[in-house]
Amino acid sequence: MSEKINTYKLKNGMTVIGIQIPAVQSAAFEFLIPTGAAVMPDGCCGAPAVIEDWIFRGAGGKTSRELNDLMDGIGLHRGSSVDSKHITLAAAMQAEKLSKAIDIHADVILRPALEQQQFEYSKQLALQGVLSLDDDPRHKIMLLLRDHFYPDPLGRNTVGKKEDLENLNAEKCKQIVFDNFDMGDSVIAAAGKIDFEELCDQLEKLFGNEKPKIPKAVIHKRKDHVYHHYPYEGAQVHIGLMTNSVTAIDENYYNARIAVAVLSGGMSSRLFTEVREKRGLCYAVGASYHTLKEMAGIGCYAGTTPDKAQQTYDVILTEFKKLADGITKEELERAKIGLQSALIMQSESTISRAGAAADDYYRLGRVKSLDEIKQKIEETSVESVLSFLKNNPYEKFCSVTIGPTEIKV
Amino acid sequence: MFINMFFPLNAGLVNFSMIFKHKNLSNGLNIVGELNPDAQSTAVGFFVRTGSRDETDEINGVSHYLEHMLFKGTDKISAFDVNLRFDELGAQYNAQTSEENTIFYSATLPEQSYKAVELWCQMMRPALRDDDFNMEKNVILEEIAMYKDLPQFDVLENCRALHFGNHPCGKSVLGSADCIKALTSKQMRNYFESRYSPNNIVAAIAGNFDFEKTCGIIEQFCGSWQQKQADRKIEYFAGTAKKDSAQKKNLNCQHICLMSPSVSYQDRRSHAATLLAKIIGDDSGSRFFWELIDSAIAESASMHFEAMDGIGAFYSYIRASSQNGAKALQVTENIFKSLKTDKIKPEELQKAKNKVLSGITIKNEIPMGRLIELGVNWVYLGKYRPIEEEISLVNNVVLDDLYSLIDEFSLENFTKFSIGPE
Repeated sequence: MSEKINTYKLKNGMTVIGIQIPAVQSAAFEFLIPTGAAVMPDGCCGAPAVIEDWIFRGAGGKTSRELNDLMDGIGLHRGSSVDSKHITLAAAMQAEKLSKAIDIHADVILRPALEQQQFEYSKQLALQGVLSLDDDPRHKIMLLLRDHFYPDPLGRNTVGKKEDLENLNAEKCKQIVFDNFDMGDSVIAAAGKIDFEELCDQLEKLFGNEKPKIPKAVIHKRKDHVYHHYPYEGAQVHIGLMTNSVTAIDENYYNARIAVAVLSGGMSSRLFTEVREKRGLCYAVGASYHTLKEMAGIGCYAGTTPDKAQQTYDVILTEFKKLADGITKEELERAKIGLQSALIMQSESTISRAGAAADDYYRLGRVKSLDEIKQKIEETSVESVLSFLKNNPYEKFCSVTIGPTEIKV
Repeated sequence: MFINMFFPLNAGLVNFSMIFKHKNLSNGLNIVGELNPDAQSTAVGFFVRTGSRDETDEINGVSHYLEHMLFKGTDKISAFDVNLRFDELGAQYNAQTSEENTIFYSATLPEQSYKAVELWCQMMRPALRDDDFNMEKNVILEEIAMYKDLPQFDVLENCRALHFGNHPCGKSVLGSADCIKALTSKQMRNYFESRYSPNNIVAAIAGNFDFEKTCGIIEQFCGSWQQKQADRKIEYFAGTAKKDSAQKKNLNCQHICLMSPSVSYQDRRSHAATLLAKIIGDDSGSRFFWELIDSAIAESASMHFEAMDGIGAFYSYIRASSQNGAKALQVTENIFKSLKTDKIKPEELQKAKNKVLSGITIKNEIPMGRLIELGVNWVYLGKYRPIEEEISLVNNVVLDDLYSLIDEFSLENFTKFSIGPE
């Protein structure tokens, strides 16, 4: 892949990453603002979900409608989300609109209007988001799983808690924006048809004078991994389980990724074959790697009708535990090519590439090139993966179910 | 016969160099290709013109079930080997079934695309073994159960059935659990024989590949397939405009689906219909957004246009708290009614165009995005539509086109289905 990666620090410490990809006509960027669920004061669970909506309701002297018209006027495709540590603002556009899109986002991030009436609407939307999560058990179980698996407050629910949201007010949220929108600790990654120098000049003018703040340390408390069941009169039992893995900075990171791919990469992987193909227990079953900066895990989901729930859980658990007994050379090769092809195909999308670069920088302090990742995947072997699994066995699981019946764990 | 068309595109928005190629095998199978030498991957798809609208009540759900069964292999390839071979290619692959299409697709690195084509060709003539059929029935029943726990899907499925009434487009794609339980492998084989005829299939390839080499593979594996009659009954139907609702005690929110008639895929106004849906119900800056989301009456509100074979519909989905459900519905109805008095402004149309056009740029950079356009256009229109033409069609829409739709299809005369708490 002929892409060029550049990194630059603005004078206040904000990081700019640029990935120039020839032969595309679009550009995309992702801002990471250190205002995630884990850094919220106690009693403010869900505040970032309110803030990510509120900041777009008027900014830089423009009303909410004027701001929206500006974004629609350049055909901006945008999205925002909240994770453990950040509010993420992402956008994709035709490349020539990049500079305008950055200007608009500077207003949204640095000069949001944060009006009282608009706050109430944002809060109501966040509250409805919590309610609607109950109607979506597949989504809800993954949030519950992370909440129970990761130490508090790292795995904190990003949608929010009803009682906390009800008690939030505009003043509290304004204070959170003031305390946490720290440009010195923010990252922007842009990918596509971009001119890196021009981008840095523009960002320096817009963001470089914002004084950095003192980053907050998050003290986290480990939890015991026990079983949690949430009664729900649905058609299926939704099963989630999660076990420890290593983070991206660990020397065994790629061995860990290969192990997950053998377990649940393509349709010939072990979980799909044993749970769905051989036994017909589920339609949806799969495991994937999930990471925070501090800690990582492998999360697994399966949805099945109540009479098959116990068997489904047992088969999944057996497959996790069996992995350390041995993997074949063929399984390793399939896992390698699967990961490498997915990497190249994802990098064709400017949105995915910008997102991956921002995540890399946050977790590693640098952006990995595609060649480096390919090389690291290639260096893994049956021996290295097994040695990793023997030293880091899948022994302890955090298990959560939502549905009409419980299971025995 | 090969047809080559070269399109150097520079419409001020995109700048792609795509080469289109087409070949029609003597048994009626169409092969269409769009070459982009800059692409990092190649996408391959088999588009079978069959779906739930082509089923009888007795075998409802068979198209989707058959889609699963193609992954169970052939007389020479086991189910496990199908999965194994795709994974050995590092392919991203899947399939989907709708009311009128069953689409099988994969993306691989360019050098692996020929093996992917070879595998798909073989899979298009499945063994349909009884053991596999019986095992997969469990998976289908689990999929039906899964969607029951997704009210956003459930409400749409119910609304479609209510809107289309006895018209074939009202048939469920998944089928009911009872119907699936009663379905036999013989019924599936009969359905397969009549619907997977080469003249009812389009093979499409997009990305970085050699067209002649690909055609050679397809001809080798598919050239001997016999043509069969694979007709579809096309009849326009404007919908029942009925209203109905259901309650479920485990739900928190009101899930509301509204459907109104619209133009078909083949209609020259289909791009106008896409833009009208964006103006009314895009997820930002639309009339739904300002009236429903901005004031937090609804948590989610969107509208989209679905263009189908000889028929079409506007779908709206609104999710609100149970207290706000009635109000959200009232506001939506007012938005539809006011289209005749609160005229659409030129700026609204221009914004919708900007969104659609930048969406085209982003989607078309990826071969998988192009593949679906390429295949679907051939299935519905029997022609290639280069990106340049797509852009012109969007740009050429004028306000009068939107009003002609609003006048002809009164949006306020909708079918409604809602699901909420007891």
